[in-house]
Amino acid sequence: MPDKTTQNRGTKGISISELAVTFQSEDSEPVEALRPTSLEFEPGEFIALVGPSGCGKSTLLNVLAGFIKPSSGQALVGGETITKPDIDHGMVFQDYALFPWLNVIDNVAFGLERQGMGLEERHAKALEYLDMVGLKEFADKRVTELSGGMKQRVAIARVFATDPSIILMDEPFGALDALTRRFLQHQLLEIWQRNRKTVVFVTHSVQEAVYLASRVIVMTARPGRVKLDQKIDLPHPRDFSSEEFRRLEKVIYDQLDEELAKSFKLEGGGGTFHD
Amino acid sequence: MKSSAKTAASVLPYLWAAIFIVFVWQMAVVFTQAHVALLPPPLLTAKTFAEMVINGQLFVHAGASLGRVVSAWLLSAAIAIPLGLAMGRWRRFEHLVDPVVELFRPISPLAWIPLAILWFGIGETGKIFIIFIATFFPILLNTVSGVKGVDPVLIRAGQVLGCDNDRALFRKVILPAAMPTIVVGLRISFGTGWAAIIAAELVAAQVGLGYLIADGMEVLRSDLVLVGMVAIGILGVLIDAVFRTINDRFSWGT
Repeated sequence: MPDKTTQNRGTKGISISELAVTFQSEDSEPVEALRPTSLEFEPGEFIALVGPSGCGKSTLLNVLAGFIKPSSGQALVGGETITKPDIDHGMVFQDYALFPWLNVIDNVAFGLERQGMGLEERHAKALEYLDMVGLKEFADKRVTELSGGMKQRVAIARVFATDPSIILMDEPFGALDALTRRFLQHQLLEIWQRNRKTVVFVTHSVQEAVYLASRVIVMTARPGRVKLDQKIDLPHPRDFSSEEFRRLEKVIYDQLDEELAKSFKLEGGGGTFHD
Repeated sequence: MKSSAKTAASVLPYLWAAIFIVFVWQMAVVFTQAHVALLPPPLLTAKTFAEMVINGQLFVHAGASLGRVVSAWLLSAAIAIPLGLAMGRWRRFEHLVDPVVELFRPISPLAWIPLAILWFGIGETGKIFIIFIATFFPILLNTVSGVKGVDPVLIRAGQVLGCDNDRALFRKVILPAAMPTIVVGLRISFGTGWAAIIAAELVAAQVGLGYLIADGMEVLRSDLVLVGMVAIGILGVLIDAVFRTINDRFSWGT
């Protein structure tokens, strides 16, 4: 059996230049979701995007996925402009987005079938990736029988199985309880270390960002732009309670608090938050 | 063991209902002393029913009616499902077609009978046309709402997993996701089509349960009318039961 890592097509960098998104709606003022933003993600980087709600981090992710067209500027993956959704740009959604009419293995094999792989081959590969997330025994189960954490593990297997150049994750663990969340963070890291993909990971949790990412990007309150670009050089597995971990968390929290204060003021909350 | 107990549990209410109906029916006969041509007693009806089962007549009539409903229903599905998929997916197309649909929908299949005879004569085509009208809208409306109800995140998931054109997206995501609702529409429409069979067969049919009823009235054989009615009721329930089983196979949603 050939080594898994050598079969991979590898990964690509992402280049975002002067990218801006303004939503035009018919009956109200245009909403500026993302100010012109430029960022370079190296191949194999694990990027965490954090910021207050509505800061445009999901907008940015949706542009990278090809769901939203930018109003100006552009985003490139491996030098090519993103124009539409592509199987080469994988995505993991907060609410799992598994296909309920397919069982677990066929969910994982879905993308492989679209890539033209025959039944036996794609089932073998799907099993391999289900094994990676520890759900090999659940291959024939219906997805409705799984817990939230298991569903997201299936979704992670599904995206890695198609071997995309980049993987976008939109608050993938946001709906899970704290313990399941820790387990999945750990599992994701293991998988990522074996399949070095460029990952762009949107999260609300600073701790999650510092635990997982090689680089944390803090975005400002709406309209979003980059507030802080912080490298995280700590070796894995990272210790939540180490001094350096806490220092980095604080650096990010300080920047984030400023933005939170602003966005609460915008919503008319006023007063209660220090500036 | 388990499944036979389940079957019994689902059949039992119908058995009770049948006993209740026969009881009320018999009471009505006893208290009104109605002439046999007006209201034949259950026993006589049962006898006629049994005779027609033995000589095969009932199967001929039921078969003819079923054949008409099935072909009209399949024709409806073949047109309404693709149309509904398109209407559900493309808002502009829906805005164009929906007013036409809404104008036709309140018109009862019965209202089409005169035109159906004028256009298609008294052959099979006219009858199938009537049932087609009766079965079309439930399938269409359920397909539209099924497509509209597809979770947008599933469509996005399909797109990032290689469904890069509308055809693939329809086949791999939208159609299977909308299937439970479409199957409900197919089931409801078979019911409305089955109910419309009488209307379709009242005019110049030579065979069919509707013909049996119309002919029974003409020769003052109310027992024949009742046999036709009973057969329609029983078959309706049986067909619905078949659809429920199919429904269950598609009801992955809950």
